[in-house]
Amino acid sequence: MMHKNKKVKNKIISLSSRDLLFSIDYEKKMNLDKLFDLNSKYNFLKNKNNDLLKIKIENEIISNSFLRIENVIDQTKNKFKFIALDFSYLFKKDVFKGRVSIIQKKENIIDIIFQLAVKWNNEIPKKTTLIFPFLRNLNNHKNFLKPGHVINGKKSIKKSVWNFHEYPPAIITNNSKNVAVGIEFFDQFPWQSNYNLGMHEAILKDDFDHYESEVQLNRELSDVITMRLYTSSKGKNEIFHLWKENTRSRYDLRKYFRPKNTWIKKNYITHFTFAYGKEIFDYKKTKLNIKKIIKDGKEFGGYDSLIFWHQYPRLGLDNTNQWDLYKYLPEELKSIKKIVEICHRNGIKFFIPFKPWDVRSNESLDYHAKSLEHFITKTNIDGFFLDTMSSLPESFLKIQKKFPSFEFASEGTPKEQRQIEQLTSSWDQIGDIRRNYKVEVEANMFRFVFPEHPLNLVSRWSVGSDKDSIIKRAAFNGTGLVIWQDVFGCWLPFSKKQKKVINQLKYVLKKFHNIIFGSNSTPLIDTLSAGLICNEFSNNSNQKIFAIYNFTKKNISGPFVKIESKINIKIQQVFGTNSSIQLKKIKKDQALYGTIKADDVVLVHIKY
Amino acid sequence: MKSIQNNKIFIDSSEYIYRVAHLTLEGTCSLDHGPKNVFIKNLYVDKYPVTNQQFLNFIKSTGYKPADPQRFLAHNPNKIKNNYPVVCVSQYDAMQYAKWVGGRLPTDEEWQYIAAGPNYLEWPWGDIFDPLVCNHDHGALTPVNAHKKGASWCGCEDLSGNTWEWTSGVYDDGEHKFALLRGGSFFYAQDHWHVGGGARKNNYHWKLQLLNEGMNRASTLGFRCVYDA
Repeated sequence: MMHKNKKVKNKIISLSSRDLLFSIDYEKKMNLDKLFDLNSKYNFLKNKNNDLLKIKIENEIISNSFLRIENVIDQTKNKFKFIALDFSYLFKKDVFKGRVSIIQKKENIIDIIFQLAVKWNNEIPKKTTLIFPFLRNLNNHKNFLKPGHVINGKKSIKKSVWNFHEYPPAIITNNSKNVAVGIEFFDQFPWQSNYNLGMHEAILKDDFDHYESEVQLNRELSDVITMRLYTSSKGKNEIFHLWKENTRSRYDLRKYFRPKNTWIKKNYITHFTFAYGKEIFDYKKTKLNIKKIIKDGKEFGGYDSLIFWHQYPRLGLDNTNQWDLYKYLPEELKSIKKIVEICHRNGIKFFIPFKPWDVRSNESLDYHAKSLEHFITKTNIDGFFLDTMSSLPESFLKIQKKFPSFEFASEGTPKEQRQIEQLTSSWDQIGDIRRNYKVEVEANMFRFVFPEHPLNLVSRWSVGSDKDSIIKRAAFNGTGLVIWQDVFGCWLPFSKKQKKVINQLKYVLKKFHNIIFGSNSTPLIDTLSAGLICNEFSNNSNQKIFAIYNFTKKNISGPFVKIESKINIKIQQVFGTNSSIQLKKIKKDQALYGTIKADDVVLVHIKY
Repeated sequence: MKSIQNNKIFIDSSEYIYRVAHLTLEGTCSLDHGPKNVFIKNLYVDKYPVTNQQFLNFIKSTGYKPADPQRFLAHNPNKIKNNYPVVCVSQYDAMQYAKWVGGRLPTDEEWQYIAAGPNYLEWPWGDIFDPLVCNHDHGALTPVNAHKKGASWCGCEDLSGNTWEWTSGVYDDGEHKFALLRGGSFFYAQDHWHVGGGARKNNYHWKLQLLNEGMNRASTLGFRCVYDA
C-alpha cells in the first residue's frame, strides 16, 4: 500500500478517535500539540513543550536542529486509522532513522509506537537512551494515577498489588473525572521485551522525570516503546474493564470451566494440616484424629478442604522419598484412605503436597505423575498442592484426563499466561517475617482480572493484628483463606474472635458467591471520602457488593461511594462492624453513607 | 580422667557451658539453648554407636518386639554388617536396649560434652572440619570403627557423621512432642528444604518432631548408651 504524504499548513498532523484528538506539530520538533477529549475539549497537556521523543547518545541529547522529517503519513480515512512521522537525525556521523505512529485499531484503544534504527559511524555502537518529555508532562498532571493507585484527598497512593505478568494501566482523568485515558506499556512477551517493562516499572516510581530508557538499536526500524491508550467517557472504572478484556482476549481459560471441578471454586476455607501436632495427631493412641480437625473447623465455618502435610520438615533425614514416606504413617496408605473417606462424608476435599525440591536424580516428573496416579487410585484424594511452585508441570496434565475432578493448586499465584491457563487455583501468599512484614489491606489485581481463579489468602507467620488484617484483606478482595495454625511446629492459632469473623466471611462468600466472583467486578473504584478504598463486586445482575476499607486510624463518617440512582434500592451490610449504612442523596446522585471504624472493612450488599 | 573398659569410656564429672545452635523460625524448638552452666555427672559412655550385632543380641536375649513394628530394623541387619551401627530404631526401641544393658540414652547436654569436651571443640576431632575422619556424604553407612582419627577428646568414635544419634529427652511444648538428634549422618540431601545432612558440628542439634513409631525410625538414625557411674 502506498503511503500518502499529507500536505498540511503549519506542519501539523492529527488523528481523532471516538474520544480523543491527537495532534502533532512537527515544524521544528516532534511536539504532541494536543491530546484532548473531543466532547469536553479538555486538553490533558498542560505544557506547550511536549516533545514526543529525545535521543541521548552517551551524555549528549541530540538537538532538534538535527531533526529532519522525512515523510508524513496520514491514513485517517480508513477503518484502520493511523498517522505516522518518519524522521532522521544525522548526528556526529551517526545516522538515526525513526518513526512515530499513532494507530487506532478499535474505537477506544490506540497505540503510540516508537521505532528507531541507526547506522553507527565505524560500526561501533554507542550508549543510547530515550527520553519522552510528553509522557513526563502527563505523569505530572494532577489527575495522573500510577498503576494500581487511588486518589486520597489531593495525593495518589498505591493501594494494590499485582505479581503476575500483566501490567494494569496508569490512568489520567479530566477535572470532572468522567473522561479517562489509560496508559499501558503493553508487553506480550514479559521479560523478553524489556523496554516496555522498564517503562512500566519506571512510571510506577516517583522519579519518572529522570527516567531514560536504554535501547539497543540496529539498522532496520524496530519497535522500542509501545504505549497503548484506552479511552473512556465513563471514568476510570471502565478503563480497568477495557484493559482487562483486552488482556484476557489472549487467554484460553477453558480449563476453569471443566464441569467436574466446579468444587474448587467453592473451596473458601482450606486447612493446612501439619501432621506433627496435637491439632490432628493423638499421641496417646498414635493415630491421626481427623474427626478432631473437622470438629475444630466448624468454628471457622467449616473447612472446605485439607492439605495434609507430613513430608516437610522430615524429608532428607534419610533417603526415603516423598511417596515412600506415606508408608510409615499409621496403617500406611490405609490411614490416608480412611481420612479421605471421613473428609468426603463431611463435604471436605483432600489435598496432598508435591515437593519439587525432592525430585531425585533417578526420578522424572513422569515418575511422579505415575506415583500420583497410583496414590489417587489407592486413596481417592481430590487434589495435589504444588509446594513452592507457581506452575504446573506438563507431566501432571494427563492426570486430569483420567480423573476429571482432580485439582492442582499451587503455593504461588501463577504469573505467566500458560500457567494461569493451566493452574486453576492457588494460594495468594503474602508476608515475610524476616523483613518485618506488615499485612496490608489492598486490592489484589490478579483476583479482579481472573475472578474464575480461586485464591486462598495466607500469611503464615502473621499473628495478632496482622492476622486480623489477613481476614480483612480476604474480605476486601473476596477471596478464601488458608487456616494455618501449626506452622511446621510453631503454634500460631487464630483467636476466638478471629474465628468468628472468618466464619462470617465464609457465610458471605458462600451466600453471595455469584456476585463476589462475578465477571464484572472492579478494583479500587472512586470513593467520596479520603481514607477509604473500595472494591465493587458485580456479575451484571441487579445486585452488587461493595467492599469498603477505612485505612486510616480514625473513624470516617460521610459518603462512601456513589451508586446508581434507581428506585427501590435495598441495602444491607453483610460483613464488618455495624456502620449504620444508609442511602443519601448527594446533589443528583445517591451514595452509601455511614460511619466506618478505623482500620475496618465492611461489605455492603445492594439490590436494585 | 578417663579409662576404657569393654569399649566404655569413663567421663569425670564436670561443669560445662552448654550452648547449642539450632534452626530458627521453621524448626525452632522451645528449649533453653544456652549458654548456661550444666553439670555432667560421672558416667561411662559407649565408645561406638550400638551395632547391628549388639542390637540383634538384645532381641535374641529378650525377645523384644515393638508394639508398632513399622520400619523396625527395615535395613535388614545381617552378618556382613554386624559391625555397622544399628538404625531404623525408634527412641523407645533404643531406650529398651539401653535398659537391657544397664544404661540409658545420653541427655542432649551429655552428648555435647562427650563430643566437644572441656575445650569446647567444634568437631569431635578438633576445630576444623575434615570429611576424611568421619562418614560425611559417603553415600552409605560405614562400620562404627571406620574413622579412628575422628575420635573425640575422650576417645569416642563415630560421633559426627555416619548416623544421627538419639538423645534421651522427649519434649512436649503443649502442641507437639519432639526429641533431639545429634551428630548428623552420612546422608546429605541436595536441597535446602531437606533436613541438613552430612556430619554436623558438636554444638548442633536437630529437632525431630515425633509421630507414630514408623515415622520415628529412619535408616540414618541410631544411638549409643551412657551408664551412670
